[in-house]
Amino acid sequence: MGRKKKKQMKPWCWYCNRDFDDEKILIQHQKAKHFKCHICHKKLYTGPGLAIHCMQVHKETIDSVPNAIPGRTDIELEIYGMEGIPEKDMQERRRTLEQKSQESQKKKNNQDDSDEDDDDDDAGPSVSQVPAVAPQASYAVPMTQPGMPPVGGVPHAGYQGSYLLYKSMPPMMPGVPPMMHGMPPAMHGMPPAMMPMGGMMPPMMPGMPGIPPAMPPHMAPRPGMPHVAPSPAAGPIPSRPAVPVTQPAVAKPLFPSAAQAQQNAPGAAASNPLTAAVTTDPPKATFPAYTQPSVSSSSASSNPSSSTVVKPPATVTSKPATLTTTSATSKLIHPDEDISLEEMKATLPRYQRLIPRPGQALTAAAPSVAAVGGIMPPQQPGMRHPLHGQYGAPPQGMPGYIPGGIPPYGQGPPMVPPYQGGPPMAASKEELRSVVMKTCFV
Amino acid sequence: MSLFGSTSSFGTGGSGVFGTTTTDSHNPMKDVEVTSPPDDSISCLAFSPPTMPGNFLIAGSWANDVRCWEVQDNGQTVPKAQQMHTGPVLDACWSDDGSKVFTASCDKTAKMWDLNSNQAMQIAQHDGPIKAIHWIKAPNYSCIMTGSWDKTLKFWDTRSPTPMMSLQMPERCYCADVVYPMAVVATAERGLIVYQLENQPSEFRRIDSPLKHQHRCVAIFKDKQNKPTGFALGSIEGRVAIHYINPQNPAKDNFTFKCHRSNGTNTTTPQDIYAVNAIAFHPVHGTLATVGSDGRFSFWDKDARTKLKTSEQLDQPITACCFNNNGNIFAYASSYDWSKGHEYYNPQKKNYIFLRNAAEELKPRNKK
Repeated sequence: MGRKKKKQMKPWCWYCNRDFDDEKILIQHQKAKHFKCHICHKKLYTGPGLAIHCMQVHKETIDSVPNAIPGRTDIELEIYGMEGIPEKDMQERRRTLEQKSQESQKKKNNQDDSDEDDDDDDAGPSVSQVPAVAPQASYAVPMTQPGMPPVGGVPHAGYQGSYLLYKSMPPMMPGVPPMMHGMPPAMHGMPPAMMPMGGMMPPMMPGMPGIPPAMPPHMAPRPGMPHVAPSPAAGPIPSRPAVPVTQPAVAKPLFPSAAQAQQNAPGAAASNPLTAAVTTDPPKATFPAYTQPSVSSSSASSNPSSSTVVKPPATVTSKPATLTTTSATSKLIHPDEDISLEEMKATLPRYQRLIPRPGQALTAAAPSVAAVGGIMPPQQPGMRHPLHGQYGAPPQGMPGYIPGGIPPYGQGPPMVPPYQGGPPMAASKEELRSVVMKTCFV
Repeated sequence: MSLFGSTSSFGTGGSGVFGTTTTDSHNPMKDVEVTSPPDDSISCLAFSPPTMPGNFLIAGSWANDVRCWEVQDNGQTVPKAQQMHTGPVLDACWSDDGSKVFTASCDKTAKMWDLNSNQAMQIAQHDGPIKAIHWIKAPNYSCIMTGSWDKTLKFWDTRSPTPMMSLQMPERCYCADVVYPMAVVATAERGLIVYQLENQPSEFRRIDSPLKHQHRCVAIFKDKQNKPTGFALGSIEGRVAIHYINPQNPAKDNFTFKCHRSNGTNTTTPQDIYAVNAIAFHPVHGTLATVGSDGRFSFWDKDARTKLKTSEQLDQPITACCFNNNGNIFAYASSYDWSKGHEYYNPQKKNYIFLRNAAEELKPRNKK
């Protein structure tokens, strides 16, 4: 591409910080989400355009851009796609992207995330598809959300990280962000990195500018880059697909099939095909042991959240975590703590009484409680209900359920509910049995 | 104590006759109300398997009990029996032959309830409340799987007090589902693990959560050949992710959709986002139902990616749902799920279980 790309990074929406593959898609997104009149749903082209439309046609003023994150709601700023974005916001964005790539690639170097890259690459294109699909599907679709940010953030960086050019690279495009997921074949320069390839570097250096260092071309699927280096994450390399495989030998050791095999092996070992019908081709099946929860939560936190409802990411920050439950446009109906509703409810003293009921052996087959509806609780152990198979006909004339009869737990188990017409407690086993039989069966 | 005067057959939609003339928001869908519902929030519902004739429904509740009703074809529900734990019951399931019900409770135990004898015995023990319990029937073994807040997943042969296997999880189990040979467990901190159950249970894959919020419920779906192929995962953020285990094209096949949110198109007021409390797949059509804290249920067709129906809003959250074995009955429970915290808990409020005819409304939409 030209030496100076338009903005040197993937198109992103200034209003909501979302990434897109293509500027066209970005514009479609802006028109649908930010420049759409809430009254008549007409899609305008810019913020000021929307304001003017609302004023002239509906006699209504609007003062902020719909679905924009706080701080980016200025209706007067004329932004169209990537044009009009204030320079300082651009720089801020670049900085955050680089930061993200550095962080995640450090993590990446310690993880085998090879396969995730595949996913990302696929997720990439889906981003572009989704906005188009959304209007038709009844579901609000954003595949983008789940697909992109979390996956995009980390693995891309990882992808990136695998191919980092360390130190030697700085002169390279510092601006090129790691987010190359739109270009699967793009091998970021393969830095036969510093160490092993010491000798290699020199020959590559001259070829540097513009020439991606040898990239084992097949790199696409499996970077398999366990730790090529603790790279300080130098600037990303401009990825040029057609890497003249100048030093295939060089790259080899860094991406040895051994390394891949090593990754594949644990994966393959772990994955038993779920069913005979499901074929799991080994490389594909080695979805890496997933990223640790900490990683995913950090990527979650660094990502703008989803959907039409723009809200700050709900970060699971620390152990006694709390959720971000409110935002400008939405409110999560959930208590703030990030534990499940059941856990919260269970902390109530009312549910804490775990007194084993006297006489109720926890392991023995003691009758636990009053059964109702015609099935007499056996008073004596060993008494078996005559019901076999299933329940048989519902008892006629039974009062049905006797809620009052259920003892609040804590009392002794062998209690009979106030069973109208039931046999007296003192009845013998046989008498009880016969009564039961009479009443339970026609 | 039958509540139903009419004996309309279930096929006509099972309209309940309540006699009240005021708009009763506890049952705006006018569905059949199960008699003698539990006295506290209902945590789980399960219908008997097809191996048993008739329909029997069990419900576990925070009143420490599990209740069983027979659901007759005319819509009548007859309470049959109940069992107690010493702590709230969080999950329950049936054995494959329908003779036993397994119940899991906050009292850290799980019990096996033999319905014929109406006896329950403890079959499992954990170090923390047991949140999920499922029966596994494999060709070469059968067992109970229990997932607990003590971060372990244990498998029990019901005859032995020690587990046949114990697997460590990264975090507390929040929900699980089993369709042999696949099991999925969703844990705290958005963990998601798939297990394969052939020969013996083992961890198959840990998956990066497709959702950004706390996991709340999960349900496995099957493909046209009736083999489990993926699962639906619901979170507290009004969103469900449909995830295939081995999709052709993950980016296109996997997707998420929003649900259980208030004011859809009106962007002027903040949108309320509710948790998805349970997901259930229709056994015949493969369409799914979701129920949420907003007090609504919705039916969806995941293949056509469309919504089939959303109910009116009940006055309480819907906490559990399930289909019966042939997909004719959809049961859902209305009780407080704590989504608004302690302040909104009203112990006096009645809890309900409703039954709805599901044969028609869950038919898949034909893809255009």
